[in-house]
Amino acid sequence: MGDRVKKIQLQKLLAFGSLVILYLFFAYAGRNFVTVPTTLNILAQSYFVGFLAIGVTFVIITGGIDLSIGTVMICSALVGGELYRIHDMPLWICIIAMILVGTTFGLFNGVMVTKVGLPPFIATLGTMMVSMGLGSIITNVQSRTFPTILEADAWFARVFLRSEGNFPMGAVFLGSYLIITFIILNKTKLGRYIYAVGSNEEAVRLSGVNASNWKLAAYVISGLSAGIAAIFFSAAYTVIVPGTGQGFELSAIAAVVIGGTSLSGGVGSVTGTIIGVFIMSVLTNGLVSMGLPAPYQVFFTGVVVIVAVFMDIQRTKKANQVKRK
Amino acid sequence: MKKTLAIALALVMSVAIFAACAPSPAPATPAPAAPAANAPAADTPATDAGDGEELYISIISKGFQHQFWQAVYAGARAAAEEYGVSIFFDGPESEADIDVQVNMLNQQLALNPDAIALAALSTDAVLSQLQQAYDSGIPVVGFDSGVPDAPAGQVLANASTDNDAAAALGAEGMFPAIQDQIAAATADSPVIIAVLSQDVTSESITGRTRGFAQRMLTLAGGVNDSVAITGGFGAINTGDADAAVRIEVIVGATPSIVDMTSAANGILTMPGLAGVFASNEGAANGILAAINAGASVPEDVRIVGFDAGTVQKAAVQAGIFMGAITQDPFHIGYYSVSLAVRAVRGESISDVDTGARWWDASNMNDPDIALLLYD
Repeated sequence: MGDRVKKIQLQKLLAFGSLVILYLFFAYAGRNFVTVPTTLNILAQSYFVGFLAIGVTFVIITGGIDLSIGTVMICSALVGGELYRIHDMPLWICIIAMILVGTTFGLFNGVMVTKVGLPPFIATLGTMMVSMGLGSIITNVQSRTFPTILEADAWFARVFLRSEGNFPMGAVFLGSYLIITFIILNKTKLGRYIYAVGSNEEAVRLSGVNASNWKLAAYVISGLSAGIAAIFFSAAYTVIVPGTGQGFELSAIAAVVIGGTSLSGGVGSVTGTIIGVFIMSVLTNGLVSMGLPAPYQVFFTGVVVIVAVFMDIQRTKKANQVKRK
Repeated sequence: MKKTLAIALALVMSVAIFAACAPSPAPATPAPAAPAANAPAADTPATDAGDGEELYISIISKGFQHQFWQAVYAGARAAAEEYGVSIFFDGPESEADIDVQVNMLNQQLALNPDAIALAALSTDAVLSQLQQAYDSGIPVVGFDSGVPDAPAGQVLANASTDNDAAAALGAEGMFPAIQDQIAAATADSPVIIAVLSQDVTSESITGRTRGFAQRMLTLAGGVNDSVAITGGFGAINTGDADAAVRIEVIVGATPSIVDMTSAANGILTMPGLAGVFASNEGAANGILAAINAGASVPEDVRIVGFDAGTVQKAAVQAGIFMGAITQDPFHIGYYSVSLAVRAVRGESISDVDTGARWWDASNMNDPDIALLLYD
């Protein structure tokens, strides 16, 4: 146990070191990387991926996967935008609706995996398509827009993106969410069982605990997080296009793995995940600031993900060796 | 037992979902607008027109989600009413869904339509379908970006914007406002005019990128000896990254709004920036999202967009964009049907340039422009 904690700490330290090195590298090699706009853009991108990634960390620790988070986020945002623009609802109702839509999809995933017994990969792949289709159906395949910082209801962007004085407001929310989820994972029964289910579900079941309910909770948290992510995505990007969202789940999952959470379950942390999120967003913005053409940006992002997954496999191998001894 | 029940339930649910979405992909199969003469016999194999059967024309677009396509659809409906034909209009949810579009085309071919109007996402992916249509004598016309490099004779004509010419209008609109900066540029304090594009593969985007860059090259060349096209679109680069005036093409890592925003942020922080051209609505949205997130636009930087949309219209109104180029989506839709009908009637048809217009805060409310600016 102590060994495992040490390993996670080491991985987190490694990840944090890479983040610092990456940042310094781009500060040196990029043009105008260390500027207020670029920093704000890195943050704006990190908010929504951050919420997605924290949520899916719970699922991955249970040994599962949630591929639906990206499209669920877009579907939630589209529902919010539909209510706001077409049904003239006050914005705060739309915000609550977004969270509810995300949570409902999370519950649906959880039931499919734990009660119906579908493999997480298949269940959430189905939800990915269902949520993408649903968003298009609801909006009649029309994009929906949220107020920018210059329009009426500018408070939306002022509260969830940046304040008058350019204070990164999203960071306050993401930071609070990080603390809450950290406490849930480390100090509550829910957290303990989520780890336990991930490292040995059979043992949990044999000890007389209903493992499936704890697993279900992880999927609900993932869906809830996707709903919250929708708020920050809408505040930052304002135009929500139906049929998009695929790919965000992979950015989030990559961030989770880079942060030291094992895809085989039982090991992981939300703090590591946040470091992973910033590695991804610093990387994409840094590559832009270096003036590299598009294919190089995609290439190097891929390389970083492969290296991270490789490190994950090495770690699991070592852990298994320890077990065998 | 419980499990079986649950699976059955899940199945029923998914069937219900599909049932719910079934009517929506085909909103365009027009309920016979006026309960007039013709029976809505859409599936009759009628290759010969004029026997009293209502013609059935399948229109497959590249998308549905941008409001642009709604305007195309409106034009197609207007023409359908005028010619008294029945139309089917649909497109995939995302412009990356090549396979979805191919399936739509297959389904329509199976109905043996009188003509097909197509805006192909990928010409290669529809080669066999084009051949099949050709063999069964179903005329095919292109619209919007059409069917580039289709085998000779298989696509009879296109109703589309001349993208090169449309984007050149953008360069002409921007140039007078930044002419002095361009004239004053030297190798030591260079001036950059950036073009933000979402890809280097689609015919319409590459045409616009090329059209803007080359016209700006000519215009800037008139006031400064040292001008070059540089950046991520190698085909048109003129080298010389040290030129005093650089027309720099920036392509987003992917067309996703997140990557377009990062690319836009990169542009807006470039020293010496004088102008930015966004080559489609997605690129314009990326620039505006970057500004929303915290990038500032220096006083003397001029931004020109393309197409319209709620957000872009607001940006022009607020003076963040100096103006934009609009295509004429209504007439693209209108001529796609018109060309198809004339092809069925055996008339000889040729390409129609549906035109483009410069719009800004001063003329966007004029009736003839407002008609072209979709929300």
